Amino acid sequence: MPRIPVNEWPPNAPPDLAKKENALVVARLMTNAALTAPITGGMPGSEAEIVYGEEDIEIVAREMERLAHHEVPKKLKKPFLYEAAMLRESDALVFLGNFRAHSSPVDAGCGLCGGEPNCSFFYERVDHIDGIVDITNRKRKTAIKGPLCMLRAHDLGYAVGSALWIAATHFVDAKVSYALGLAGRNLDICRNSEVVVGVAIAVLAKNPFVDISPDYHLTNMTRQIDAVRKTAIVPRQLSMVNYLMHDPAAKSKKDDKKEEEE
Amino acid sequence: MAIYDGYKAAQEHLVEVAKACAVAAARAPSLTGKLGLQMEIITGDDLKPMMGLLEKLGEASMFQRVDATTYRKLLDAGRLPPVLLLGADLTEAINWNCGGCGFPTCAEFIKYLRRNKGVGIGAYGPSCLWKVVDLGIAADHACACAAMHRVEVRIQFSMGACSMFLDRLEGCSFVLALPLGPVGSDIWFDRQSWQGEADYQTLRQIVIRGGPNLAMGFTGGGPPIMKTKQRWWENPQFMKIEKDDEIVEKAVENQAAAYEIVMRHAGVLDEENIPSDQD
Repeated sequence: MPRIPVNEWPPNAPPDLAKKENALVVARLMTNAALTAPITGGMPGSEAEIVYGEEDIEIVAREMERLAHHEVPKKLKKPFLYEAAMLRESDALVFLGNFRAHSSPVDAGCGLCGGEPNCSFFYERVDHIDGIVDITNRKRKTAIKGPLCMLRAHDLGYAVGSALWIAATHFVDAKVSYALGLAGRNLDICRNSEVVVGVAIAVLAKNPFVDISPDYHLTNMTRQIDAVRKTAIVPRQLSMVNYLMHDPAAKSKKDDKKEEEE
Repeated sequence: MAIYDGYKAAQEHLVEVAKACAVAAARAPSLTGKLGLQMEIITGDDLKPMMGLLEKLGEASMFQRVDATTYRKLLDAGRLPPVLLLGADLTEAINWNCGGCGFPTCAEFIKYLRRNKGVGIGAYGPSCLWKVVDLGIAADHACACAAMHRVEVRIQFSMGACSMFLDRLEGCSFVLALPLGPVGSDIWFDRQSWQGEADYQTLRQIVIRGGPNLAMGFTGGGPPIMKTKQRWWENPQFMKIEKDDEIVEKAVENQAAAYEIVMRHAGVLDEENIPSDQD
């Protein structure tokens, strides 16, 4: 009978990797749920991608940190940095995109994108020939190249909602994030979509996505543990005695005499 | 001690499920953290004004007619479901400057919105991309909750828009409707209510409109013959691309009629001058 120890600690040790594999099963189920979520007119438009493993998650976290420092508005800097720190405690990342929002609108004149009873707001602002959108120019002046078909973007919400529902149903903690989605899209994850939303999932005694302390990117537990590694070493070197020859805790004969005199 | 009629008790329970769905939607995770979700549960006769408007719009548009027909038949059978409305003001910017709306900054978006806020067939705009996504997440949680309760539901743009135009959920720029049931099956999918409403020829037409290539004859001559019948080469019908003033006129007239209903509901028009849409 195979035995599979499961334990969240220490990180990335075999018992933790066993746990991560379980989380990966949930991530896979989340992508299925995303594809079956309610969607406008039943028209397929969602795509999903999973990122799994310490190395690949680190690449995404670093892109979030790059965005935080160099691209996003000041008010988003800390949220982006905090969420990058959360990724390092995550087991898997689920990315969801809508590949039609920028390329093939619903064309129903709903009004969401520009408040017009037709789709003119969208088509007047994108490259297209007779309503066929040319998406081959991928140069962006903003984080997301707009405008988008907002009804399609709304569909993305349902995909994300169903994925989150599956995570919650399996008691796996999940964090839905703009930062994660943007970083993933920049790394060509869900590469057919202009707008991508990321969901980090984690199995831990303490949900790593809530109750976040100030300056979390600097004060998180990984940094605290590293600080222990740094500070606990030095005092050892201030008691440089040979433990075979001498036990500072043992009482010496001199001490015994002193006690007798008293 | 009591014995309940199963169906009657189940039907009564649907309002409780609607409440549970409202709980799920309110608890849904959010990207912006400030969706400002508004909700209402509408039951029985209070649905009638919206049904009237939906029927009027359905005279010119198929997807609205299908929903209007279902509501009407459920009303006739005394089985109207409670309807959960979910809405939010999606025109509020969140200052992320992401560009998704089509403007370089949120400030530019707000500037445009002030002068050009308008309405389409079912929503005001322009909208903030992330609030649009957030409303989707919330609406999905309501749907998922209903599914967990084994209630047949369908999230509706049609009934949502009619509710918004008739002043439900004040201040919302987009409203969705989620009818909870009624108890039973084949209500919003494989609709029993649609049976007999469209004949075989009409349904064939709808299929061809959705996939004209399937019905096309040789495309190398002039306009292709459309294979619309068994002996399609006799008295052939062709596909042509041309203006159709009749369709445009019908749509404009329908919009005007729908607008009248909305204005009368708002108390802007005189009650006596306009025929009632209610039974």
